[in-house]
Amino acid sequence: MTVIAAPGDTWGISGPTFLWVYLLAALVVVVGSIVHRRRVLAGPPAADVGQLGPQQVAFLNGGNQLAIWTSLGGLRGTGIVGVRPDRRLTVGGQLRVGATPLDRAVHHAASRNLYASELGRDGWVLRALEQLRDGLQRQGLALTQAQRLSARRGSFLLLSLVLLGVARIVAGLANDHPVGFLILLLIPLAVAAALIARVPWRTRAADVALRELRRRNLHLAPASDPAFSTYGAAGAALGVALFGTASLWAMDPGFAEQAEIQRQALSPGGTSSGGTSCSGGGSSCSGGSSCGGGCGGGGGCGG
Amino acid sequence: MTGPGTATTDPGVWAAGPGTATTDPGVWAAGAGRDAAGAGEAAGGGPGPTGVGIGWRPEIAGFVAELPGLRFVEVVAEAVAPHGPPPAGLAELVERGVTVVPHGVRLSLGGAEPVDPARVAHLARVAELVGAPLVSEHIAFVRAGGLEAGHLLPLPRSREAVAAVVANVRRAQAELPVPLALEPIAALFDWPDDELDEADFLTEILDATGATLLLDIANVHANSRNRGTDPLALLDRLPLDRVAYVHVAGGAEQGGYYHDTHTDPVPPVVLDLVGALCARHRPPALLLERDGHWPPAPELRAELDAIAAASGYPVVT
Repeated sequence: MTVIAAPGDTWGISGPTFLWVYLLAALVVVVGSIVHRRRVLAGPPAADVGQLGPQQVAFLNGGNQLAIWTSLGGLRGTGIVGVRPDRRLTVGGQLRVGATPLDRAVHHAASRNLYASELGRDGWVLRALEQLRDGLQRQGLALTQAQRLSARRGSFLLLSLVLLGVARIVAGLANDHPVGFLILLLIPLAVAAALIARVPWRTRAADVALRELRRRNLHLAPASDPAFSTYGAAGAALGVALFGTASLWAMDPGFAEQAEIQRQALSPGGTSSGGTSCSGGGSSCSGGSSCGGGCGGGGGCGG
Repeated sequence: MTGPGTATTDPGVWAAGPGTATTDPGVWAAGAGRDAAGAGEAAGGGPGPTGVGIGWRPEIAGFVAELPGLRFVEVVAEAVAPHGPPPAGLAELVERGVTVVPHGVRLSLGGAEPVDPARVAHLARVAELVGAPLVSEHIAFVRAGGLEAGHLLPLPRSREAVAAVVANVRRAQAELPVPLALEPIAALFDWPDDELDEADFLTEILDATGATLLLDIANVHANSRNRGTDPLALLDRLPLDRVAYVHVAGGAEQGGYYHDTHTDPVPPVVLDLVGALCARHRPPALLLERDGHWPPAPELRAELDAIAAASGYPVVT
């Protein structure tokens, strides 16, 4: 096999030479991207999961909306927030000591009789959620925009390589040169670029923390049919945070239905599952179509 | 309860009982002998139940897990899958060295037909799974003539019934890896053809089988309250030295009767009976049996503390 450039070579580089150099460059970029990405997404070596409050857990598990439901579950558990016959929220007492900024925001929104579904658009609530997210980013559990962009950097390099390859294919085809191997090489590269572009919004340290918290609190999973009257408001909040609004439905089906809170069960695996929500809630689970809807669980929500 | 009318009028329920029970006692001698040897002292995994315990239920597993002084729980045997690991919360308690006693509710030891070997095997399997020192079941029947009653029904206190229970207990003991404790149940009525009183009925069964007694103190109250008898007189006549542990459950007065609901608080009168029992012969362990309508954690802790105070055992909360 000759590698000497001939007058007919595309861009003056022979096909085999280009292929080898291209392959080497692709390998370097892919390996480099993966290493870089792993480092960015790692988070701190060991997070103390005991330090996380239910709303922080909820934000890591399901983003803004789950944090809101968790706050609402805790406030409902202490009887501070209720719902009126017209489905608007209402308040039934003063906030307790130890209320989080999100609790204050949700309580304030309830005092203005918002619908539960409007909480995520309320300015005060959104500011509280930003505060929650900032704290988690400082702890290395949630990723900042800069970190997510950085983790994605490799995919831009790979995309450049793919574009270069496409240009070479077009030029090669125009010169009637064979391009089959290059096309074969481009396919896995494009796939790798797409995979590396998918960046979660929490670190692996947060994944580990959530797994540990779910393991420790299996008794709050809907399948255990937890006695929230015994576990109290804190248990209810953590139940919602770890296992979704199915916990809120189990705790107070009347409130959940009246406030039109979408039923959602996050299985211990971290994905949404209708089965879990329908097995745990007993009589409250007759809702049929409302079972199992909602957010995609683990990585998909909020962001 | 609709049992009395239907069951008494059907002699078929008992027809098979005496026959099978008396055919050949020798067949069961090995089982009874082994159990008698192990009676009183735990033959199984860990030590026997001691102190104040609580019925482990999945609904309150998180509450039970956080009781610092807990040494003893009971689990409904039928709620544990025979293969594969026990429920996560229960497995953690076993690891902590907490004694777990499987409590059967479906064996139907009081049934006229022989006890179902598959159900005994399940109870045995659960006992091995949790390293239990003993298992317990009710002196009651839950099915007859192929019909499932769905709950525990009382036996007439006749010699026929004693024979039927003894036969079934021996069959179960032969297959169980650990001793068996028997629990009499609450009843709103007496059968018309009772030949024995409660104490004699129980003592005959225990004597014949070597089984220990699981005494439900709330049932003692319920039975005496509903029949107008003296609970202390019954305590005086029961073989209290054979009690393996005691159930303490809540109940409620309704329509002139005391109902052993397991979903209400333990009334003071039952706690007083606990005190009276312990003054006579303190049992090795007492267990709070709650099955639903769960109260806030502080109330549940207060009930455990009240049982500890009434019995003089250390608080577990």
